[in-house]
Amino acid sequence: MISAYYFGAISLILIGLYAILVKKNVLKMLIGLSIMETGVNLLLVSVGYISGRSAPILSEGIGPNQAVDPIPQALVLTAIVIGVATTAMALSVAMIIYEKYGTLNVEEIRRLRG
Amino acid sequence: MNGQYASLLIALPLISAFFVPLIKGLGKKAVKYYLVLITALQTGIAAWVFQEVYTTGKPIIVMAGAWRPPVGINLYIGHFAALFVLIVAVVSFLMAVFSIRAISVDPIDKYAMLFLLVMLGATGMIATGDIFNLFVFMEITAISAYALTAYNKTGEAAEASIKYIILGGIGSSFFLIGIALIYGSLGTLNMAQIAQLAGGMDATVAQVGLALIVFGLAVEAELFPLNAWAPDAYQAAPHPITAMFSAFVVKAGLYALARILYLMQAVSSWHSVLKLLIIMATLTVFVAEFAALRQKNVKRMIAYSSIAQIGLIGLAFALGTQSGVDAGVFHMVNHAIVKALLFLAVGHVAVSLGGAEMEKFEGLGKRMPLTAFAITVGAIAAVGIPLFNVFWSKLRILLATLGAGYSWAAAVVLIASVVEAVYYFRLIHTMWFAGEGERISEGLAVSLMLLFLAALVIVIGVYPDYAWSIAQKAGNDIFNVADYIKNVPLMGVGA
Repeated sequence: MISAYYFGAISLILIGLYAILVKKNVLKMLIGLSIMETGVNLLLVSVGYISGRSAPILSEGIGPNQAVDPIPQALVLTAIVIGVATTAMALSVAMIIYEKYGTLNVEEIRRLRG
Repeated sequence: MNGQYASLLIALPLISAFFVPLIKGLGKKAVKYYLVLITALQTGIAAWVFQEVYTTGKPIIVMAGAWRPPVGINLYIGHFAALFVLIVAVVSFLMAVFSIRAISVDPIDKYAMLFLLVMLGATGMIATGDIFNLFVFMEITAISAYALTAYNKTGEAAEASIKYIILGGIGSSFFLIGIALIYGSLGTLNMAQIAQLAGGMDATVAQVGLALIVFGLAVEAELFPLNAWAPDAYQAAPHPITAMFSAFVVKAGLYALARILYLMQAVSSWHSVLKLLIIMATLTVFVAEFAALRQKNVKRMIAYSSIAQIGLIGLAFALGTQSGVDAGVFHMVNHAIVKALLFLAVGHVAVSLGGAEMEKFEGLGKRMPLTAFAITVGAIAAVGIPLFNVFWSKLRILLATLGAGYSWAAAVVLIASVVEAVYYFRLIHTMWFAGEGERISEGLAVSLMLLFLAALVIVIGVYPDYAWSIAQKAGNDIFNVADYIKNVPLMGVGA
């Protein structure tokens, strides 16, 4: 049932997008961003999934014809690392914001405007 | 010399960034001079690559690990990439020199590292021939740019940075979904092979994939409605970094947008994506020019002006004609020079007088005449007065827009140019005819850089032919996809 993976991936992306657009707390927005990234990663892996095949690790009884497409998995590994870096960066910026503004509510963080 | 040495363009900034902590042991000054040295070396390599590509007329293809594409990742340094890698390196060098004076906040070693990584990321985005590699370089640029935006550690800087991170995160996710769709239907990530196979792609999948990529890159390329982060980040970032954002970080995003768009021109639903981009670009010009009109902070005003010009370049690329792409590339070159000049001068004023508010610029003509002169040249050029470089590219973009049959877009751009003239002449008036002041020292290095950039503006303005012929070659590199496919030695798999 490949469509279940696609369905799951798209729902995760939409849940994440919803959290980013609707939530007022910076941390909740960042959690939304992480959920969205997870959805995208799941989508990428689903693209390379071939029903009934195993992980693309060369071992006994598993040749190129028994494994799923390895490229999307390599891409997802990279994307996960990038996602971790972005999240770490964002959280440290959120710390500075809390120090300077005393709040994490995006409606009160509005010194720059115009 | 062997063309494979061009991979030093990527390797040098990366390895140098790792050595920064060692240099830090020699003192803070040493880190700044180290930065100048590395960017000067990078400029040398870029100049060699530029000369090599433009004399032989052939692109340099660097194959990672000698694996032939599409199995290995390749760099494609054609006419466009050679030109822009040079611009990236030169602007980085100028800003490294400016950093000696402009950056006093600690930790300077982190600044130097991030500075080199931004330069690396932009160079990589321009040079790469693999669409996922493009994503990785885009993220390197973006994450370093987030950190540099927040570098001053003020509340405003953190606020600008978090806006940038959230929009950038959404953008990169969209871009990745677009890549997943393209990979899912074509089975390749190599840009030349994508172009080769694009004709057989399902029209709806291609349309959705391209639209997602356009939206994803529009964050980096500062196109409306995804550019809300840009003015804040420009205002809050350290002054040399602002100039780098405007001169090449955004250009790398725009280039990626144009490159992917033209690679997929065999797709049957291509024109509907172009229409989307034309509307986005025209709105960018319009909204940004009117927003610039009511700014009190000069740096923020020029940031809006920069976004408007980017919209103009986006419009030129979205026309889908050869003349449009050529004009767009020409405008990219001119805009990089003019905005480097303006942000350098405004940053210089802000460092010397302690702020970039409009009041600080009163009497600037008497206090810092050379800087005021440089801002005047940049402002007049940006408005598009004849005999300055931007005039020629703006004219060509307008002609190309009319030629492609979008007279409404040309009209909007013309109205926006009038608005632009209003706020730039207000700035010029404030500098020369208002306020008094004592003359203060302007610093030799910055003065020389300002004179160099101002001279470049005027020389290209008076003799545009040479720059135009380079821009035409570079535009042809983007537009003529058949040559692009032919130049990459694809291995015969899958196709």
